[in-house]
Amino acid sequence: MGIPDDAGDHQWSQQHLSHYVEGDLRPRARRRLARHALGCADCGRGIRAMRALVYAVQGLDGHAGVSAPGAVFDRARLAEADGPAAPAP
Amino acid sequence: MTPEPAEAELLARARSGDIAAFEQLSGAYADRLFMLLLRLLGDPDEAMDVAQEVMLRAWLGITRFQGRSSYFTWLYRIAVNEANRALDRRSRRPAGVSIGARELELPAAPAQDPFRAAQSSELRQALREALMQLPPELRTAIVLRDAEGLSTEEAAEIAGVSQAAFKSRLHQARLRVRAAIGDDALVTAGG
Repeated sequence: MGIPDDAGDHQWSQQHLSHYVEGDLRPRARRRLARHALGCADCGRGIRAMRALVYAVQGLDGHAGVSAPGAVFDRARLAEADGPAAPAP
Repeated sequence: MTPEPAEAELLARARSGDIAAFEQLSGAYADRLFMLLLRLLGDPDEAMDVAQEVMLRAWLGITRFQGRSSYFTWLYRIAVNEANRALDRRSRRPAGVSIGARELELPAAPAQDPFRAAQSSELRQALREALMQLPPELRTAIVLRDAEGLSTEEAAEIAGVSQAAFKSRLHQARLRVRAAIGDDALVTAGG
């Protein structure tokens, strides 16, 4: 992943906040984004927002409390007489 | 990937035409699979319809399951494909005939002070709306990785793309959702 020049730091950083939070940047790029964010309120806030976004999606809902309806196998049961398809030759 | 012994036995019985073994094998993942479909489709009735289709396709195709991935991954991949087919059918319906308008009401956040609860509720609603506005391939990426908590390797396999392509979709999805909700709302809700 290319490293931008100083003039492009802000736009590049804004486009790579998810990469930063995900740990997908190489060390040099990561340091560059972190250094830019230290002096850029928008990008510092962007990092916090991206972390909050990931956290919020993780907590949007849970598996607990939602069960698959019992009818989930109905069509498979109807097809049972034919049995599963033969394996491909 | 070698299945766990109990799963391998159920798989062998299912392949020989034992529907009870198939139900036991697939039933272990049914709740999680249904939740995935709810997240991808946003509509309980459509999720139920697609879940039935997933199980039918899995039953009819189980003899072709080679065991190169886990059974869970194979089943999830069928689910993502079927969800995408459903979304494609939905997009081709005439305007005004909308499925998915009913928002899924999921358990509320743990008890907290009213102001925080309201913020949290608003954020959840905004998130659901932003996720449903994403193109299917981007929604699949953020749901599999962030909501389902799957590894990139597993999520990419289920989505049927390379890990690099999956990462690209994930980052695009997050950027779009962030833009839709706004940094202020996210940071404030994140505390």
